[in-house]
Amino acid sequence: MGFVGFVLANLRRNLLRSALTGGAVALAVLLVCLLLAMPAGLDAFLTRIASDTRISVINKAGLVYWMPYSLARKVRGLDGVTDAVGMVWFGGAFEEAGRVTFPSFAVEVDHIPGVYPDWNIAPDQLSAFQRYRDGTIVGRQTMRKYGWKVGDRITLRSNVWSLSLDLRIVGEIPNDRSPLVWVNREYLDQALKASGRPGLGIVGIVWTRVAAPDDVNPVMLRVEALTRNSDYETTTQTEKTFFATFIGSLQSFITILMIVTGLVSLCIVFIAANTASMAVRERAGEIGVLRAIGFRRRIIFSMLLAETVVLSLVAGSLGVLLAWAFTLGLRAAGATIAALGPLGGFFVTPGVIVQGIVLSLAIGILAGLAPALGAARKPVADTLREVF
Amino acid sequence: MLPLSYPLRNVLARPLRSAMSVVVIALVVVACSLFLGLISSLRRSFVSSGDPMNLVVLRKGSDNDGASQLSRDAVASIRWLEGISRNGDDQPLVSPELVVQPFFHTLAGGRENVLVRGVEPIALDVHSGVRITEGRMFRPRLHEVIVGRGVLGRYEGAVLGHEIRFGRNRWTVVGVFDAGGSSFESEVWADVTELAADARRGAVYSGVRITAASEAELARLKARIDSDPQYAIEASRESDYYAKQSETSRSLYVFVVIIALLAGVGAGFGSANTMYAAVQSRTAEIGTLRALGFTRGTILTAFQVEALALSLAGFAAGAVLSLVLSALVRGWLGGIAFSAATFTTNVVSLRIGASDLLLSGTLAVVIGFCGGLGPAWRAGNLRPIEALRRG
Repeated sequence: MGFVGFVLANLRRNLLRSALTGGAVALAVLLVCLLLAMPAGLDAFLTRIASDTRISVINKAGLVYWMPYSLARKVRGLDGVTDAVGMVWFGGAFEEAGRVTFPSFAVEVDHIPGVYPDWNIAPDQLSAFQRYRDGTIVGRQTMRKYGWKVGDRITLRSNVWSLSLDLRIVGEIPNDRSPLVWVNREYLDQALKASGRPGLGIVGIVWTRVAAPDDVNPVMLRVEALTRNSDYETTTQTEKTFFATFIGSLQSFITILMIVTGLVSLCIVFIAANTASMAVRERAGEIGVLRAIGFRRRIIFSMLLAETVVLSLVAGSLGVLLAWAFTLGLRAAGATIAALGPLGGFFVTPGVIVQGIVLSLAIGILAGLAPALGAARKPVADTLREVF
Repeated sequence: MLPLSYPLRNVLARPLRSAMSVVVIALVVVACSLFLGLISSLRRSFVSSGDPMNLVVLRKGSDNDGASQLSRDAVASIRWLEGISRNGDDQPLVSPELVVQPFFHTLAGGRENVLVRGVEPIALDVHSGVRITEGRMFRPRLHEVIVGRGVLGRYEGAVLGHEIRFGRNRWTVVGVFDAGGSSFESEVWADVTELAADARRGAVYSGVRITAASEAELARLKARIDSDPQYAIEASRESDYYAKQSETSRSLYVFVVIIALLAGVGAGFGSANTMYAAVQSRTAEIGTLRALGFTRGTILTAFQVEALALSLAGFAAGAVLSLVLSALVRGWLGGIAFSAATFTTNVVSLRIGASDLLLSGTLAVVIGFCGGLGPAWRAGNLRPIEALRRG
């Protein structure tokens, strides 16, 4: 019987015990992978939606502080800027839902194609958005939530502007996680004027696209110089940083997650170490015999260590697999069940898979080290004397 | 019947192995208590914000302060409704408020949206849970603010007597208020007129908070406001309003329960393992007991008691550890920030309550019971003759 066969045979000796230990390791790795998948998912999500050539321009004081509409035009005139689109928070609520359940913006339709070429919105839908004043483009997540289709007519009531707009859906943002709704800024402007109010003279955010990543910093400086010492000083950020600040406040929650992750891993090391030491204790006589007939310490040591490492690697891989399947299920459910909220956003990225495997390896080594070392070190005569 | 001391002494007979089980259960208890404490602290911050005698008046369809706008006329129409409680100066307890979410710079170098509530001095009478603990109330027209306890020390200048920069101005912190752990403690209060001017909001409010004179008046006021012929406004009880805001914590709760269950099952496997080994090493002893006439049930109970004793010990150790850890987290991280429905930062201070400990204690007992079940069953069903022979 070879080394591998010996290890496997030992694992099969007390099947119940191996199964229980393996189960504990698999559950722990599953758990840790899920916990790790949360921040990893956020990061992967940000990297996927954010472009490194798009920057946000907002009022330095905060998102709810406005800027004059003319700023969008001024930004477009700057060197290095490919295109820029001014947006205003519309705050539209779908009547049936009763309240605001998705982010909606009134946008300059002519500049959407230039700023979002990477979002793969169909060209004919983009031109329909420019042609029809009452057109709207909706993210796929919101489309699915309300069962809307391109061509549907909907009415959105705005709490911010206290009016309702009748809209027709002319296009879709083909991203499962996009809840966005864009309406035509001109349409809102005219509706405001029709109700006897001044038009829409403001802009809340200007999304700016630059030609190349190298242009990001110079353009950011130029935009900030443009508004310095005015009544509406601005701050610019790359798209990724912009969205990351929304999540940034979760940092201390994630710290707690990591503390718990550490605790759970430690807990499982204890369980597995306990099992390994039980196995070694039971086989003391056998190990003595092996040593007596000439097996070297190193062989005994690696054999015992391999046993825990193999068990925890197999169980850990199972845990990673389970975590992957679990997040897949959560994501599928999250697309339809809004109540799941952020739970729909977990991604088991390759990084998480590697971390899960490394963790199971570490559990195996840490748990097996002391018992294996103890058994291999013990003088043969002592062991044999104890047993016989 | 075997005396209770038998299983308990068995626990002590193998100190290392028992300690291992205790540590495992303790760690699971710590993990669960930390998570549950976090969620319940978050919930408490919302639930305790609402005063059941207060009404929140917002534009119809708005589910929070930050997404509502009311004109000066709409606010004026509410001010003189009947059934509103009055303060000592015979002023109606009506607080028109404006909510703005400017950036604040954290000491760590980040930037967070903070809820700044523009109020009139009467706000302190309407929000009866808010008390100024240090300094004094702001005076209008001097760019003064008071800050909640959660804000204090979290942002640049958020110290009594210092200046905070937000919006288009600098504001002097003249007071610190306490609101019993509620979400108001994550807010900054300023004079409503000054705040509106700073944010270029004109004569627009976010909402109005009113205190009803009695329960019956509250129902009447709500009906009156909901059916207002002129303005599209609606009133909700302040406690219901905040209970709704805490719904976001529900998905977190599901997540935590899943984690607790997974960790619990894992630990259950571990303790089952230990107990199986204990049964195996005591086969002869069990055979002897059976031969002496102790019944299966007695043996089973003895092992079950042993498992439960281990898990209770684990729970006790875990409870102490988690209280210590939560105190450390409070000292080290300060408050834990969450995003509120208003897109602002809600700073929650982590406190593990009795109910959280009770829940993780239940989990520990269930782990012990389920983990002990298999081994105890095996012990009870050992055939005396074979057990004696094998031993």
